[in-house]
Amino acid sequence: MVDWLSLAVPLAYLGVLIGSLATFSSLYRKRKAQKAASLAPWFPAHLQRDIYFSLLHLDPSSQSGKKTPNVPESVLKAALLRRATEDIRRVMALRNQKQALSVLLQRGSVGDDLWQRFMRAEKEMEEEVRDVVSEANAYAPNWGQTIFQSANEMMNNDIYRQRIKEHEDKLAEEREWWEKKRASMQEGFMKELNEGDNQKTSAASKSSEPATHSKAAAPAAPSVQGSDDDAVLVEADPSGNSQASPGGEKKKKGKGKGKK
Amino acid sequence: MASEIDLYTQYPLHMDGASKAISLPPSSAYTSTQSTTINSELEELNTLHRALISLDAPNVPPPPMPVNAKRGAQIAKLRESANTAYRKNNYAEAVRLYTYAIEMAISRPGWEPVALAREDLSGLYGNRAQAQMALQAWPEGLTDAKISVDSKPMGNVKAWWRVAKCLAEMTRYEEAKTFLLKGLEIEGRASDGAKELVALLEDVEAALKRAV
Repeated sequence: MVDWLSLAVPLAYLGVLIGSLATFSSLYRKRKAQKAASLAPWFPAHLQRDIYFSLLHLDPSSQSGKKTPNVPESVLKAALLRRATEDIRRVMALRNQKQALSVLLQRGSVGDDLWQRFMRAEKEMEEEVRDVVSEANAYAPNWGQTIFQSANEMMNNDIYRQRIKEHEDKLAEEREWWEKKRASMQEGFMKELNEGDNQKTSAASKSSEPATHSKAAAPAAPSVQGSDDDAVLVEADPSGNSQASPGGEKKKKGKGKGKK
Repeated sequence: MASEIDLYTQYPLHMDGASKAISLPPSSAYTSTQSTTINSELEELNTLHRALISLDAPNVPPPPMPVNAKRGAQIAKLRESANTAYRKNNYAEAVRLYTYAIEMAISRPGWEPVALAREDLSGLYGNRAQAQMALQAWPEGLTDAKISVDSKPMGNVKAWWRVAKCLAEMTRYEEAKTFLLKGLEIEGRASDGAKELVALLEDVEAALKRAV
């Protein structure tokens, strides 16, 4: 015969223990999940993805009476391609950041939160890429295998064209600078010539001339004011000219070779 | 978690019936910066869409390799005629033709390999720089040569030389020197084109000494 009364105490003890542990664990997990969900996302909103889904769910009836046909597939394909391009950019960013971030985490320079945000972003991107591939395969057989190759090239081409544009945007500035510079150089030349003449005619007028000249010029234009400083550079100019003649030879040399 | 991945923001987009262009009807729901980003994205989308429509049946960009040679041949043809114009000392015409060729090369669809675009454009910009220099348009030559160097730093001695030459012509010797040293570093002093770089470097250094 078992003594139920004396057994009840350890049983109750065990029950309370397990129960409290289970509650703690479930509460802890729930809170952790909540915390992870409330962490700021790694990337900003995925605009291309939003647009793609918006187009996919574009409701023809909502377009106030106007009869608009369904969105053609080609538009959706273009939107998907844009989405893939943005995905590539994000995947690349994650790949670049991972190394640095894990080192920082090991050293304790960054908090665990950041790492969790990162891991979440990585998981999300995995899903996203898989989703894009399956969507692409739905539009055209085997497109899923090449869509990211295309997207990668598109991204690189974008970056490259951006760089070209940056260079070309600077052109106007360069040209303006050069116009000013050339004008001031020419002015400096003229001045030098004039001064040479003045020296011959009279020394007295020479000393007064630059003074009146600068007085008149100073309020007029900043470019004229700069001509005094440029006079130093002008001295270097004859050297530039003399240099131009060997340069001219080279130019001709390059002419033949310049063609491919 | 899984549900979060299925979430998205719905934009009230509008599609033009005829041109199939997507646009965002103006509304007060978005701030001006938001609507500009959305609109610029939609613009890109519409451009890409037009490019896709011109493709063959499945309207899907082909894999980057192999390359469609048609555009490349057209660019090469334009470049050839520009080269002829240059050889006849008709520099303005050469610049014009190079500009056409550059436009064509830039409008190469984005899914074609970027290496191809770089190769074409480095040559074209390099040659246009040469024609600009013949016209003594130094700032234009400088910009073109810089783009050429940027497109293809290796094996592009002539473009390096042109950058430095344009800078030297504009009396910017310090910058010219920087570029020459960089070019020599990348090309290596032993390469056959390096001699010209070294010669120009000597000139520039002499000019610098005189200017001091």
